[in-house]
Amino acid sequence: MRERTRLLLLLGPAVALVGGLVLGALGLALLRSLRLLPLEEPGLSAYASVLASPGVLASLALSFWIATVSTLIAAGLALAAAMLLRQAFPGRRLVAVLVQLNLTIPHVVGAIGILYLISQSGSFARLAHAAGLIAAPGEFPALTHDPWAIGIILTYVWKEVPFITLILLAKLQTLGPDLGPVARSLGATRWQAFRFVLLPQLLPALAAGAALVFAFAFGAYEVPLVLGAHAPEALPLRAWRSFTDVDLAARPEAFAISILIAALGAGLLALHARLILPRRGRDAG
Amino acid sequence: MRAERLRLLAGLALALALVLPLLPLALWSLAHGWRFPDLLPQAWSLRAWGVASSAGVLGSLGLTLGIAAATTALAALVGLPAGRALGLHDFPGKRAVLLLLLVPAVLPGIALVLGLHDLFLRLGLTGSTHGVILAHLVPVLPYMVLVMASVFAGFDTRIEAQARSLGAGPVRCFLQVTLPAVLPGLLTGALFAFLVSWSQYLLTLAIGGGRVQTLPLVLYAYVAAGRNDVAGAIAVLYALPGILLLLGFIGRITGRDLGRVLRP
Amino acid sequence: MTLELRNLRKAWPGAGQPTIPGLDLAVAAGSLTVLLGPSGSGKTTVMKLIAGHLAPDSGEVILKGRTLTGLPPERRGVAMVFQDPLLFPHLTLAGNVGFGLKMRGEPAARIEAEVAAMLARVQLAGLGARRPDQLSGGQQQRAALARALVLRPDLLLLDEPLASLDAGLRDEMRALIRGLQRETGVTTLMVTHDQSEAVVMADRIALLLDGQLAQAAAPAEILRRPETEAVARFFGGVNFLDGVVEGAGFRWGPVRLALDRPGPPGPARLTIRPEAVLLHPGPGQLAAKVRGVTLLGTQSRVELALAGEPLTALLQPAAAEALRPGDTVAVTLPPAALWRLPG
Repeated sequence: MRERTRLLLLLGPAVALVGGLVLGALGLALLRSLRLLPLEEPGLSAYASVLASPGVLASLALSFWIATVSTLIAAGLALAAAMLLRQAFPGRRLVAVLVQLNLTIPHVVGAIGILYLISQSGSFARLAHAAGLIAAPGEFPALTHDPWAIGIILTYVWKEVPFITLILLAKLQTLGPDLGPVARSLGATRWQAFRFVLLPQLLPALAAGAALVFAFAFGAYEVPLVLGAHAPEALPLRAWRSFTDVDLAARPEAFAISILIAALGAGLLALHARLILPRRGRDAG
Repeated sequence: MRAERLRLLAGLALALALVLPLLPLALWSLAHGWRFPDLLPQAWSLRAWGVASSAGVLGSLGLTLGIAAATTALAALVGLPAGRALGLHDFPGKRAVLLLLLVPAVLPGIALVLGLHDLFLRLGLTGSTHGVILAHLVPVLPYMVLVMASVFAGFDTRIEAQARSLGAGPVRCFLQVTLPAVLPGLLTGALFAFLVSWSQYLLTLAIGGGRVQTLPLVLYAYVAAGRNDVAGAIAVLYALPGILLLLGFIGRITGRDLGRVLRP
Repeated sequence: MTLELRNLRKAWPGAGQPTIPGLDLAVAAGSLTVLLGPSGSGKTTVMKLIAGHLAPDSGEVILKGRTLTGLPPERRGVAMVFQDPLLFPHLTLAGNVGFGLKMRGEPAARIEAEVAAMLARVQLAGLGARRPDQLSGGQQQRAALARALVLRPDLLLLDEPLASLDAGLRDEMRALIRGLQRETGVTTLMVTHDQSEAVVMADRIALLLDGQLAQAAAPAEILRRPETEAVARFFGGVNFLDGVVEGAGFRWGPVRLALDRPGPPGPARLTIRPEAVLLHPGPGQLAAKVRGVTLLGTQSRVELALAGEPLTALLQPAAAEALRPGDTVAVTLPPAALWRLPG
């Protein structure tokens, strides 16, 4: 009993704060999306109108595209970068420091940097002009505010490759330096040692990191704000626009969008928790 | 040797890619007009930095620093005991608590912001600095708790028992034995907690309601206005504290510390 | 000779002395040779040079007449068992033992049969579906051994394979390794810092001190005929007698001792193992005074003064029980046990 009181005192404030704010926010959003608060005509009409709106569906598809492509590219490059950084080469320390420094840079700064680098009047366009490839800014391919969201994806890749790389390096450190040599002395080639020994043990960490990246790229606001096209716009922009619409009738729809995104997040949460929380039973895989 | 040269090339490419997007920001901040197709500005000027060091922008910098520092301190205060409970003890419902703490990290940001705005509106906390600090605790506190749980999981409570049996009271035991033992993890956690608050955009916009003008909001206003030079200067000003903090820490952060503090 | 090391050198940047200043060593086909040395003597470095995880600065590793220098680890025919079992945690026991065969591209049915046979040999039959964290420490180490042996390597390297085990399991594992090695006839080089383990297991001991080969010989030979004082001391030698060889005898202070192999006359240093020193209750060859008795467990150490010179004997505890400091005892130093250190 005493031990229980102690645990309650230690945990209570944090759990109450996070639980109150998170569950309060989600609960209110749910009630408002169902038009239960203020009580109008309760029901799923907000969801129906959201899911019937071509604009919202296009935004949903765009955000899926952004999150999926960013996550896949970042995961692949991070795997390569982690394998690179665990080996010795001149300048390795400097690169490792740069990778860590990137963590500290806010996404909005990265987005503006990418904008000034690859927009039609950006540094790359100027280089293309100097090389005689284009004569005017409009001839440079549109990489920002473009339908394929290339600038947004580039920003996420730039920010998240270091993030996943550091997760993988931390995991490699706990694995120790000898598993590779063990595999090699059992006859595995360099590639086989990676494919059959290192990669399977990195996959859970890689997937857990990728789930966080996907969630972030799906739900972040400021990167598409700087680099996104007007139509379709990324889902977070769309949700915020409905929310701040002068027509208050749009609000339930905004809350419906946020609940739909939360449902997607619940799936990601289940995946992430399965990968990082200690399991009680043992899995067979 | 051929392999080593390949690695060197790959390392160079990685380093270049990491630095490249920051270069135009620095150049723009010092440019006096920089028209297409000039590769470099034709004239240099400190005009943008004059704006960036005006009372308005510096006040915004101070406000952002204050919010991040207050959020971090609160998160450490509440998060350290909670991390201890989670790191050292097993109890019914522990998994549920861990799941709850993962929600703000894994849920896409926009999913919580609208509901939080509604909640804070009802509590009368919108449009105020302390409201923004409380809102920043949503992503920051769980993060701090999880970091401290991982720190305490590697903490040997026998050193506390040893200290108590040598005559230290509970307070001295905490200050002179426990705290120094978990301090490196706490500092690394605090550094990254600070950065999580520091880089919040939408949460500040939603809860602050435009009345709490942190640096990222000011920065975007200049981007939207097409003032590339001022935006460059403020972007550099905004990125600098994090870079300096990390550089100050760099020798002390181990791979393991870093492994447990990482969030996108 | 199956394995030959020729003037193998490896230096580390920064360190003053080369870790391996130039090592020559030969290992006979089918034998178990133990590379013995204190920690820091460069044993593991030698193993890694042979296995190909490190490249030597110069020198050659020759296995069955094939120069291995420059070959990657997987093409050397050398299987190495590390100090910790280092089983792959994501694979089952059977998956671990079959790993090398799978890398070679052997058909699945053959892998399964070989793995089953190998698991039976290391007393892990029926556990193939378990995961490494469901195995005990001893089982893990046996699995690591099986994982290497199943490849039928030209050379098996064992890096302190008993170090991670409890004392009880160690004896069992020791017998298992020795038995499997004899049964399969695999040429084996094992590293340890434990001289008693080396004496029990080895066909031949190569003693490495400061990266140099101090002596390589059969255990009985190296114990009784050490080539230097350092070798004698490493194996627990404590009795060193400085005197002069005269004819077939040895003058040690006032005492004259008979020698089996006196060698040329002149100043010399002899050594005798403490367990070879004989004590008698009655009058004997020499009279010595007891200075102290310490019970060590299965033996007792008796410190003696023989004509003022210190001498140590190891006896059965029962034989030492009656001895008290100050007693006078008769001592025999058998001529066959007295060994003149060369040089």
